[in-house]
Amino acid sequence: MSTIVEMTGVNKFYGSLQVLKDVDLSVEKGEVMVVIGPSGSGKSTLIRCVNGLEVYQQGEITVDGYQMPREEDRKIGGEKELAAIRKGVGMVFQQFNLFPHKTVLENISLAPMRVRRKSKAEAEANALRLLDRVGLKAHAAKYPAQLSGGQQQRVAIARALAMEPHIMLFDEPTSALDPEMVGEVLDVMRELAAEGMTMMIVTHEMGFAREVADRVVYIDQGAILEVAKPAQIFDAPQNERTRTFLSRVLKH
Amino acid sequence: MIASTIRWSHRNLFAKPLDAVLSLVVIPLCAWALYSGGSWVFQGAQWGIIPESIRVLLVGIYPADQIWRAWGTLLIFGLLFGATLGCVFFLHRVLALGYCLVVAAIALVAVYSEPTSALLIVAAAALALAGWFATSRWENLRRFLVPAWTLGLIAVFALLSPPGIGLWGGLMLSVLITMVTAVLSLPLGILLAFGRRSQLASVRMFCTAYIETMRSVPLILVVYCVWIVLPVLAPQYSVPDVLRGMAGFTIFFSAYVAEYVRSGLQAVPKGQVEAARSLGMSELDVNRYIVLPQSLRVVVPPLVGNVLDVFNAAPLVFIIGLTDFLRAGQMVLANPQYSDRTYEIYIFLFVTYFLIGSLITFAARKLELHLAKGAR
Repeated sequence: MSTIVEMTGVNKFYGSLQVLKDVDLSVEKGEVMVVIGPSGSGKSTLIRCVNGLEVYQQGEITVDGYQMPREEDRKIGGEKELAAIRKGVGMVFQQFNLFPHKTVLENISLAPMRVRRKSKAEAEANALRLLDRVGLKAHAAKYPAQLSGGQQQRVAIARALAMEPHIMLFDEPTSALDPEMVGEVLDVMRELAAEGMTMMIVTHEMGFAREVADRVVYIDQGAILEVAKPAQIFDAPQNERTRTFLSRVLKH
Repeated sequence: MIASTIRWSHRNLFAKPLDAVLSLVVIPLCAWALYSGGSWVFQGAQWGIIPESIRVLLVGIYPADQIWRAWGTLLIFGLLFGATLGCVFFLHRVLALGYCLVVAAIALVAVYSEPTSALLIVAAAALALAGWFATSRWENLRRFLVPAWTLGLIAVFALLSPPGIGLWGGLMLSVLITMVTAVLSLPLGILLAFGRRSQLASVRMFCTAYIETMRSVPLILVVYCVWIVLPVLAPQYSVPDVLRGMAGFTIFFSAYVAEYVRSGLQAVPKGQVEAARSLGMSELDVNRYIVLPQSLRVVVPPLVGNVLDVFNAAPLVFIIGLTDFLRAGQMVLANPQYSDRTYEIYIFLFVTYFLIGSLITFAARKLELHLAKGAR
């Protein structure tokens, strides 16, 4: 297996506040990595660094073979690397972030047309195929606000997949959903995992993490405290803080 | 019937002692104002001055034998206005009927003074209706709206220029200043708004300084300064006063448009930009396809209001010696023969300004509702 994301000694600061501390992490191709941790621990920041939505100051991040430019390099360049990385990295957000002024079909076909220079016919055919896959083909002509949260999130997944990414980032994809809609989104993600998509997932769904993850990362106060197989981390956590966190979230 | 009238007045006019006192003062006052105003309008006033001086009021000192050019302008604007309306308001049967009635009323008034004019007014109104119908029926036509306006304005300039740009005046000049300023200040304002958010410190500082400077000085000063400075900057060309005035208005109102657009840009959630970036879109595409459409949708109503501001500010061009609608009215009154018709002229100006202004306000409000429905 080859490595698709490689982070070494990554440090990130907001002013004097350090939000990522000496993060070393690598994600293999085809691997599903779930990131857990208390709120404010830096887990969202961690995966947002992978596609450059967050800048970092020290260390090195390599994605898809491209070097992610550091903050000071972003000011004077690095657009090429950033663009190349983002082409190959899909992202799904907690708040869906669908484009409200575009139909579902346009939401999915816009980026392939603008970024991958696909023809409109090709991009729309592909979009319809992806919509069919997430079970929303009938809603292609609707606007996002006409869909339920779960449906919107599935469209957002289809939109990210339309760029044929090598890795998908999920930033708490079910946290903004009503409980009865969580399942439909997790089902789509489960299928993706089964098809061998490389995924980095930040989630509070511990049952899902245990079932789908190849490895689970526990992060606390910006530092990675534990990386292990789900069985190991959930049943026999090595770190004291991991144990406290899990005992708190697994209680109910 | 009588009982319900009494009940209604009791509740709405005489509910409390203070209400009763106010009603007793206000109702007779209004009645008196209505009666005396009405009796002057229908008996005292000599409206003959309006048809006699209508040409000066509408086109100023534009030569009478070239007046067909002004009519051509009306036809072009009719089509463009209609097409613009069609993008927002679907042409219902009721709406079309009401529109035809209004046009018929205006045409009847015009027939009274000049039959050819009535015919041309009806022609312009028919073109507007055709444009309205076309864009409300075929959505594909809507993408040509901006090019159509640009072409239309160029055509109007080409049509009106030959007798001399310096001869433009009257309501025609007011409308032209408004149109040119509205069309030019939008792209400039958008550029300034983006410039103010630029990563580049030099661009950001220039745009901020420009916007803040323009917003902190009076319009009349800017118009006057541009009028003086342009010939100094380009001494080899003699730029007509009208164009210098339009330049001043555009330079001034771009700053206001920029601030409206900026408020729209700030209303677009950060997640939208992040989503577009994470799909690999370039910054230009993010702004063009995601940020700008969403922010313009928010600011269209204030931008329409801004057009009204431009129209109402147009009389200020008297400072550089131009004859707009208001000034044309004063010109008519300067004729000793008409000097006792002050009220007639000013009431005509008032009513015309009021009609155009309230039409724009009405359109802005409708537009707001329409867009609110669309912003799901």
